Amino acid sequence: MIRSTLLFALGIVSPCLLCTTAVPAEAPAGASAGNVEPIDVPDAVATNEKEMKPYAEKIEHTEQTIQMVPIPGGEFLMGSPESEADRNEDEGPQRNVKVDPFWMGKCEITWEQYDIWNESVDQRMRRMFAKGKTPRDIAVDGVSKPTEPYTDMSFGMGREDYPAICMTQHAARMYCEWLSAKTGRYYRLPTEAEWEYACRAGTKTAYSFGDDADQLDDYGWYYDNSDDTYQRVGQKKPNPWGLHDMHGNVSEWVLDQYTPYDSIKETLNPLVVPKTLYPRIVRGGGWDDDPEVLRSAARKASEEDWKQQDPQDPKSIWYHTDALSVGFRVVRPLNVPSAEQREAKWDKTEPEQKDPEE
Amino acid sequence: MTDNNRREFIKKTSATSAALTIAAAATRNVHAAEDNTIRVGLVGCGGRGTGAAKQSLSVNNGPVKMVALADVFENKLKSTHASLTTDSKLKDKVDIPEERQFVGFDAYKKVMDALEPGDIVILATPAAFRWVHYTYAIERGLNVFMEKPVTIDAPTSARFLEINKDALAKNLKVGVGLMCRHCKARQELHDRIKNGEIGDITMMRAYRMTGPTATAAVEPNTGDLSELQFQIKNFHGFLWLSGGAVSDFLIHNIDESCWMKDAWPVKAIACGGRHYRDGCVDQNFDTYSIEYTFEDGAKLFVDGRTVPGCKREFASFAHGTKGSAIISTASHTPAKSRMFNTQVMDDQNEIWAYPQPEPNPYQVEWDDLIAAIREDKQYNEVERGVMASAVTSMGRMAAHTGQEITLDEFMKHDHEFAPNVADLTLDSEAPLKANEDGKYSIPMPGLVKKREYL
Repeated sequence: MIRSTLLFALGIVSPCLLCTTAVPAEAPAGASAGNVEPIDVPDAVATNEKEMKPYAEKIEHTEQTIQMVPIPGGEFLMGSPESEADRNEDEGPQRNVKVDPFWMGKCEITWEQYDIWNESVDQRMRRMFAKGKTPRDIAVDGVSKPTEPYTDMSFGMGREDYPAICMTQHAARMYCEWLSAKTGRYYRLPTEAEWEYACRAGTKTAYSFGDDADQLDDYGWYYDNSDDTYQRVGQKKPNPWGLHDMHGNVSEWVLDQYTPYDSIKETLNPLVVPKTLYPRIVRGGGWDDDPEVLRSAARKASEEDWKQQDPQDPKSIWYHTDALSVGFRVVRPLNVPSAEQREAKWDKTEPEQKDPEE
Repeated sequence: MTDNNRREFIKKTSATSAALTIAAAATRNVHAAEDNTIRVGLVGCGGRGTGAAKQSLSVNNGPVKMVALADVFENKLKSTHASLTTDSKLKDKVDIPEERQFVGFDAYKKVMDALEPGDIVILATPAAFRWVHYTYAIERGLNVFMEKPVTIDAPTSARFLEINKDALAKNLKVGVGLMCRHCKARQELHDRIKNGEIGDITMMRAYRMTGPTATAAVEPNTGDLSELQFQIKNFHGFLWLSGGAVSDFLIHNIDESCWMKDAWPVKAIACGGRHYRDGCVDQNFDTYSIEYTFEDGAKLFVDGRTVPGCKREFASFAHGTKGSAIISTASHTPAKSRMFNTQVMDDQNEIWAYPQPEPNPYQVEWDDLIAAIREDKQYNEVERGVMASAVTSMGRMAAHTGQEITLDEFMKHDHEFAPNVADLTLDSEAPLKANEDGKYSIPMPGLVKKREYL
């Protein structure tokens, strides 16, 4: 409790009960996610869409960076037409959706990037080099991290620059909270709309390279070419906006609750704030899926069975022991929402996820 | 008192018998409807104990009921109770009123007193307490499911085998949570190895290199808890409680390898040390490499590592004179056991693979135990459970002392980590005391050689 109070004080986590200077809505990106000075990164600052450039977010005390790609704001037709092959009912009705500009991770978050938070690699390195804490280190102190697992969550498939897997949506959200504190810039999961918009990259076809699934080998890892395991990120061709592995390798968490499209009224930056633990949504399909699951419009709902082999009870809030092809990538909106907006929408989720009392 | 075993009695009498009276349970009228209900009590409400309880209730060959809980921490007990009573699939099989929820170090007795001969008690506390609880379970004539490891040092290993003689004499059914032994894939691999399909095994390799695990690395006590409570909360960090990272984490891969060889190793040497442990107060090394030798000269190499950011491997392999095998692929389940006709384990050389999917062995071990109870089949896994625990402890001791140790020497060793464990109460001093800096005695290979820590 003390730690989260400290974070409120730093304005890193909402609700921002104690901070006196919340960042106003529409504050220029590059401004801090809270009151902590952001780490200085070339090309990371932009005051408008035209100034947005690709940049490499730096993770202090480590040699890791996260490559970010600018995604222009715009409008698109979300979902798939009834004429699309192998389409599912839940991909319609199609509707026009508008999204504001954001940066998106060029690749899925890798184990190496994930473990910095998951295993406190940055803090271990800081201590080994006998460096003091920066304000950002003090800020990340307050972000919870996964309990130590009993098993290797990469299941022997490789760590380093392979995609991180088997995390719950809660864990992916917490990673973003940590990354925000760690960098001083606001990161989160994409909304389902942002994800599909970025995946399509201006295309209306089943895949961002067209309708021909035979070309999938050039763009993604899936059941037929993955050799029963995930692959290092970023090896296949990118989509028109420079994003790799949007189709395949691992399915990616988005922020939303899984609901039918015709129940969603919001058309500007829509987000269905989750109210129940299941079902939530992953997008893009993974190494163990067939081509139709990799389509831009295809949706996959999370389910309780994703924790089947967790022999502990209560089952962990951090791990989906059976979701070996589920990971995520991060986004950073150009217009940083205020603490109030984050609390009301972007960071909002129910039920609250708490580790059992120790 | 085998003759008084309720289930035997029922087997010998017809189910229509309306006036069953059972000597051992004279205080309670047995209703005909309950004749074949197995009642279950849980001692130790941690994550694994609660998981085991749910698996016991998921066995589908007759009525099972969860009736009593014990833990030293009330909040653990309450969370287990909540978890059982809110599980939509199982809550109808749960009947644990306040008066059968027991907190404290003597709670184990109260749970077992609430059960009757023929019922099952689950022993899922840290391993230090296992022999104490088992002794009482045998006295009460209960069937038992106990989590691994069952012992963590030599004197209690020898004692456990002795205690078990009574359980065998009473024909109690006793399962030990080495669930890999119940895995259908590994069982078939074992049969095939026995049939000589990869020749004679000359070498095996077992790994659990998985980064930081459970409570193996323990930060200092913030002072909210007594020293004893603090150690129990972080039991993987303290040798007297759990045998530490070796006993608790490596036992499965060691056991499944020895099973494939159908032998226990006769000696061990080992390396180990700790690196990024600043600020931690536990007794574990963060890396262990053990070399076991079998009677016929074959070797088993075991690597355990809880260092972040390093290569991960959580698997076991066997190498024979005619080929090789993957005993388990990643974590414990699914095993995806396979065999190859060379030492190169790839698709071209694969000669057999267990078809997927596999049944979950955590459930199968329960199906097997309860089937044995209902059919009154001889069922006692304690000896192999103790030997697996002892062999694992022998490897740990080789690493912690820096010495070669034989199984004979190990089994005669006199260092009992917590001789007063049976007498502990919530107010007791912890069997292991911190020094002035709040640190605990750690192993010092080559300096402290006759025991694992001073």
